[in-house]
Amino acid sequence: MKKLKFIALGAASLALLSACDKNGDNPAAPTAESAKAAGEDTIAKGLPGGSKFAEAAKSVGLDATLGGPGPYTVLVPTDAAFDKLPAGALDTLMKPESRADLTGVLSYHILPGTMLAEDIGKAIDAGGGKTEIATMGGGTLTATKEGDKIVLTDAAGTKAIVTTADSKRSNGVVHEIDSVLMPSK
Amino acid sequence: MNKILLAAGAAALAISGPALAGGQQGGGHGGGHGGGGQGKAKVERGGGGPKAAVQRQGGGNDRAQMKAERGNRGQGQVAKIDRGPPRADKVDRGGGKVDRGDRKVDVVDRAVVRVRDGGAPRVAVANYYGFDGGGCPPGLAKKGNGCLPPGQAKKLVGSALAPAYLGAMLDGPYRDWYRDDDRYFYRMGDGYIYRVDRGSNLISALFPYYDRDYSYYPVGMMYPSDFNYYNVPYQYRTYYPDGGDYLYRYGNGAIYSLDPQTQAVQSIVALLAGDLGVGQRLPATYGVYNVPLQYRAQYYDTPDNWYRYNDGYIYRVDPTTQLITAVINALV
Repeated sequence: MKKLKFIALGAASLALLSACDKNGDNPAAPTAESAKAAGEDTIAKGLPGGSKFAEAAKSVGLDATLGGPGPYTVLVPTDAAFDKLPAGALDTLMKPESRADLTGVLSYHILPGTMLAEDIGKAIDAGGGKTEIATMGGGTLTATKEGDKIVLTDAAGTKAIVTTADSKRSNGVVHEIDSVLMPSK
Repeated sequence: MNKILLAAGAAALAISGPALAGGQQGGGHGGGHGGGGQGKAKVERGGGGPKAAVQRQGGGNDRAQMKAERGNRGQGQVAKIDRGPPRADKVDRGGGKVDRGDRKVDVVDRAVVRVRDGGAPRVAVANYYGFDGGGCPPGLAKKGNGCLPPGQAKKLVGSALAPAYLGAMLDGPYRDWYRDDDRYFYRMGDGYIYRVDRGSNLISALFPYYDRDYSYYPVGMMYPSDFNYYNVPYQYRTYYPDGGDYLYRYGNGAIYSLDPQTQAVQSIVALLAGDLGVGQRLPATYGVYNVPLQYRAQYYDTPDNWYRYNDGYIYRVDPTTQLITAVINALV
């Protein structure tokens, strides 16, 4: 029996080693080529383990996107931002039957390419105080400034302040925000 | 989403049990895309994916004829999907070649006229091609699945492409995503993109033309069997080929990994915006410089040229006209 256990353990270890070897140190990327292009310090790896955004992304399979080649600009609401949602809202979104909805919400926080705070600030200035930004989810955010801070406003008028900007990752950049943004309707 | 939030809030106030938002199926999201996906995996490979290869397409002069109307794209939403105003493209193409320092880059110039109407998503190329290349009869294509009822589209595979569609070249971002090669050529019509085998001249695969509606296929859902062919956009094929642990399929603004046995979505490996294409006007929502950091020393905004990134490509923009004038690099 012990021998069987060892054999099983050995096989499992080999399988794990094989997976690690294939994807390097990036289990979120499904192929060696995508893992290599994504680099070592991906957005997915940089998300605090157990954070609500990370858990939500993982639950709908977007951890593979955030661990892939990108590049993307990701607006990551803090756990406190999720706590500001109406009671039960996140629980509802985390249910299996709401995966499509949650994917839509999260992709509203993912922007094409790499946008540093300075880049957004310049576009705001060029736009006379505001600029519209396309999201990967199809909706649009409005960016403005309040003092030195970048403020992003969703379709319903909810404002999120960039509290920590420009966390550069190998496949994009992360800006931490203090509110969860919602696509329209 | 507001509906969900309101429902959730009401639930919290009333403590009235599970009857509110939680029990609802995800509305229109994904639900209409089902269609099964039974059967065995079709494992197909595209034509590979050489990097930074930008094809020259056609010849002629730039004839930029624009109607710049962009604003919000179809808004992603929660609880109920409304893609917003549909888009329709009318295409005029040209081509050119640009010398950029130590390397030559083929560029593609073409103009796209975007039209909006209040109906179902469709591509109004009729006036240009002389036939209804992308439009659908009322009641069809509500889910971006092309013009045929579920299950019917697959019957087109193995048949000859309608002669009227032989000249219907892909437009917008699709021209950079699906390029003709030695084995296949791609054409569009009736709400579909057709992959045609050059040897047999028969349709070997098809998928919806207007499927960038951002109502993603959720994890666990089976990918629609009608379109279950290898259709990963060209620039991502090196990263996501079939034949390994997963199948990869594009649809509704994302590339998915599928379980080869069940055809169920395992993860979303990439999101695609589908916003930029040579000849289009730069959408107002792309005012922010977004070129990846490693390319910024080479491609930075000047009074003569802007650069914007989208879906694996860097595009060059004329700041004066706001026209996207070239694809100058493929990143992935």
